[in-house]
Amino acid sequence: MSTKVEEKKIQRIEDILNNDVWDVDYEPHIKVDYNKCRECKWKPCIRLCPAECYTLVGDEVLFSYEGCLECGTCRVVCPENAVEWSYPKSGRGIHYRFS
Amino acid sequence: MGLEIIVGIKWVPNTTSVNIDPKTGTLIREGIPSVVNPHDLTAVEMALRLKDRYGGRVTAISMAPPSAIAGLEHVIGMGVDRGILASDRVFAGADTLATSYVLAKVIEKIGDYDLIIMGHETIDSSTAHIGAQVASWLKLPYIYYAKEIDYNEKEKSIMVKRILENAFEIYKIKLPAVVSIAMHTYEPRRIKISNKLRAKMENLIQVWTSKDLDIDVNCAGLRGSPTVVSAIDFVPKVPRKNEIFNEKDPRKAAKWLIQKLIEEGLLDP
Amino acid sequence: MSVINQRFDAIVIGAGPAGSTAAYQLAKMGYKTLLLERGRTPGSKNMFGGRVYLQPLKDIYDDFEKKAPIHRWVKKERISFIDNENSTTIEYESTKTTSFTTYLTQLSGWMANQAVNQGAILLTEIRVDKLYRENNVFKGVVVEDEVVNADVVIDAEGINRLLLEEANLVEKLKPNQVALGVKEVIKLDSNLINQLFGLDNNDGLSWVFIGNLTNGIPGGAFLYTNRDSISLGIVLMLEEAIRKLDKHIYKLVEEFRIHPLINKYLKEGRIMEYSTHLIPEDINSLKPRKLYYDGLLIVGDAAGLLLNQGYTYRGVDFAAYSGYLAAKAYDYAHNNGGPTSDNLSKYEELLRNSFIYRMLNKFSGVTELMKKERLFNTYPALINELASRLMHIDYDSYKIMEAFKEVKKGRISWLTLIKDLWEVSRKI
Ligand SMILES: Cc1cc2nc3c(=O)[nH]c(=O)nc-3n(C[C@H](O)[C@H](O)[C@H](O)COP(=O)(O)OP(=O)(O)OC[C@H]3O[C@@H](n4cnc5c(N)ncnc54)[C@H](O)[C@@H]3O)c2cc1C
Ligand SMILES: Cc1cc2nc3c(=O)[nH]c(=O)nc-3n(C[C@H](O)[C@H](O)[C@H](O)COP(=O)(O)OP(=O)(O)OC[C@H]3O[C@@H](n4cnc5c(N)ncnc54)[C@H](O)[C@@H]3O)c2cc1C
Ligand code: SF4
Ligand code: SF4
Repeated sequence: MSTKVEEKKIQRIEDILNNDVWDVDYEPHIKVDYNKCRECKWKPCIRLCPAECYTLVGDEVLFSYEGCLECGTCRVVCPENAVEWSYPKSGRGIHYRFS
Repeated sequence: MGLEIIVGIKWVPNTTSVNIDPKTGTLIREGIPSVVNPHDLTAVEMALRLKDRYGGRVTAISMAPPSAIAGLEHVIGMGVDRGILASDRVFAGADTLATSYVLAKVIEKIGDYDLIIMGHETIDSSTAHIGAQVASWLKLPYIYYAKEIDYNEKEKSIMVKRILENAFEIYKIKLPAVVSIAMHTYEPRRIKISNKLRAKMENLIQVWTSKDLDIDVNCAGLRGSPTVVSAIDFVPKVPRKNEIFNEKDPRKAAKWLIQKLIEEGLLDP
Repeated sequence: MSVINQRFDAIVIGAGPAGSTAAYQLAKMGYKTLLLERGRTPGSKNMFGGRVYLQPLKDIYDDFEKKAPIHRWVKKERISFIDNENSTTIEYESTKTTSFTTYLTQLSGWMANQAVNQGAILLTEIRVDKLYRENNVFKGVVVEDEVVNADVVIDAEGINRLLLEEANLVEKLKPNQVALGVKEVIKLDSNLINQLFGLDNNDGLSWVFIGNLTNGIPGGAFLYTNRDSISLGIVLMLEEAIRKLDKHIYKLVEEFRIHPLINKYLKEGRIMEYSTHLIPEDINSLKPRKLYYDGLLIVGDAAGLLLNQGYTYRGVDFAAYSGYLAAKAYDYAHNNGGPTSDNLSKYEELLRNSFIYRMLNKFSGVTELMKKERLFNTYPALINELASRLMHIDYDSYKIMEAFKEVKKGRISWLTLIKDLWEVSRKI
């Protein structure tokens, strides 16, 4: 469903992302070394990845690449160098239309 | 010698992102980009693997508006040798019968072929009709849900392993024949820059209209389509429960999950 | 690794405004040009705030105003200072216009098509993996296991610049060098947009917000009117965001959307797209040591050529113009013995003599200034209270200075205020 905006409340990120178009690749273009995440105190990726690709499950970080918007933020903010980052191949990934 | 392979690709809206307008209840189509039907990329991959093993040539065909040239360039980028686009206003509004008619005409015109490969089904209509119908038009044998194909050049036949729910079947079929490939059989290979360059610089894509195809216009497009869509209904929303069990020990978590599924009557104890 | 037997005069990496314009100009001058873009269509990976300055693009493209995908001509500018309850808005309206709103997805696509019309070959769905180098001379690009050769390579890969990093020409981006922009595009009927914002047909609004929308983090918010949609978003300086952001960043955008000041405009809307991108921020440290090497030129965001005017950016016209100058520099080098580093240093000279370096020098220091906490915390509150004293009159009226003295009390010293004012007026 597309997100109606008149409701004066914050939408869920899933609903907002639902308006975007991806051709999701079959292999991840980003890999995260979770061992390093365990040592990471601030875990800035959780709050700063605009697509919320990084989530906390208990106190473990879980990364899923499917909704990635390819901004590069996680690569830059990660203090532990845990993010092996690149762009998707063969035209896959996010397909912006109105930005 | 090798195999002359034709592979059918459909240019479909990327339905991972088709939204419903909350006000009007209609589909929002604005700006939805099209992609090659993902299951057809699997078919293309199968065709290319056969070419890698036995040599020959792969021709991709599509019935679609001109924008589908980008889709043909995509599969040429993967290694397909050439593309043929059947595109004409009179093809518009086709149901599966009329679509398969035009595709069969395209294949007839190509003339020289051993094997026709189709995808499992499309993501935008999912009828899985086209393979069977094309085979009927051309009076060729048809086999679907294929997982593996081996070619016997001497006999001009293929061995096809097809997948069923809990078994495999193996068939030997004389060529020419039509085969649909089971979805997810292979991941499509990556696009190569040399192939993409060829697509741009060597005129590998032809566009054929109804005039090129010796077509009875009464069998194509809307006119040739006996199917009538009488209504579209939305699938009722299934109410869902949602429980979260926070547990670090996977054993305990699995136990809890199984218990829950049993309670819901979804698993036999 | 196999080498492709096609040779190009120029390979341009990235069909953003910088790359597409470089390819356009190169092809126009008759060079055999290959433009490579990783996205499915040119524009499909591009995102920005919403407003582009016209003049440099007009110099490059014939009939730009008539042919380019322009949404609205910006005739109204607003700046709002927001604190918790209040906002003060300054509005400026003009009949003349120097900028327009658009989608960068459309504008980049259009520019790439202009390049194609001039004879450039555009290949989409191609992610360049490496710059190809022999004996320290750049000779082409690597894609998967293939090499394509060219006389010159123009790197227009944008801010993340993985290729330049791999080639050891720049270091990995650091949080203090960039800002993060997140935006929502909201569909609204064009007549309604005109009505709501008091605009004539093709007229547009650019609206900047300063204050506590950013969770106490240096940055700001923006709103632009497109033809039949509105772009709104948040920009945060990344280094400060790492330490201070205490909720998910998308919530800031949502809080902005439902802020009473703007939600009243969005009643009929629906979200069409959600997008994000990094923005060059600390230009001084971002700029590679050199923008020209043997066989290589660096343009656009990859070169750090973006002007931060304090909450609004001039990136698109800067990127495009740098691409244009790079093409000119290659032309010069080609006619003077080849694209050696020496010959390509023409690019630096052209940049120096253009508005690009002139503006970058003039505005240097803006980022530092923007990081001053007072600017987005203390002052917006101060301005609002001042306005409210002046306007909210029961019996007694305030004289301006009297009101000002009162609201300033305990917040900030005269000296700091004067220093800040001086800095702001000097740098912006
Ligand atoms: C009742 C009904 C009414 C329809 N009305 C319209 C209409 O008015 N307008 C309209 O545009 N569409 C219409 N369609 C859709 C259109 O008929 C089908 O999409 C088309 O015939 C293909 O069927 P399918 O997508 O189910 O393919 P499937 O049979 O699921 O596809 C199997 C395989 O066949 C091949 N294939 C399928 N289509 C093509 C193609 N076009 N070119 C090349 N290869 C192909 C692919 O390899 C594919 O994997 C209608 C469909 C139905 C069922
Ligand atoms: C939130 C935000 C708001 C902004 N607001 C404005 C504004 O209002 N006005 C303004 O003028 N500017 C604005 N900017 C700045 C402006 O968007 C950029 O400066 C401009 O887009 C830079 O152009 P570019 O061509 O250098 O890079 P980009 O636009 O980033 O283009 C780079 C291209 O290269 C491609 N690419 C990257 N790597 C590869 C590879 N390895 N192989 C193949 N292709 C590759 C990318 O897909 C992309 O298409 C804003 C930026 C942001 C993020
Ligand atoms: S910032 Fe890096 S190390 Fe820390 S949790 Fe995120 S990915 Fe892991
Ligand atoms: S690149 Fe951006 S969108 Fe993708 S995972 Fe990293 S932060 Fe999230």
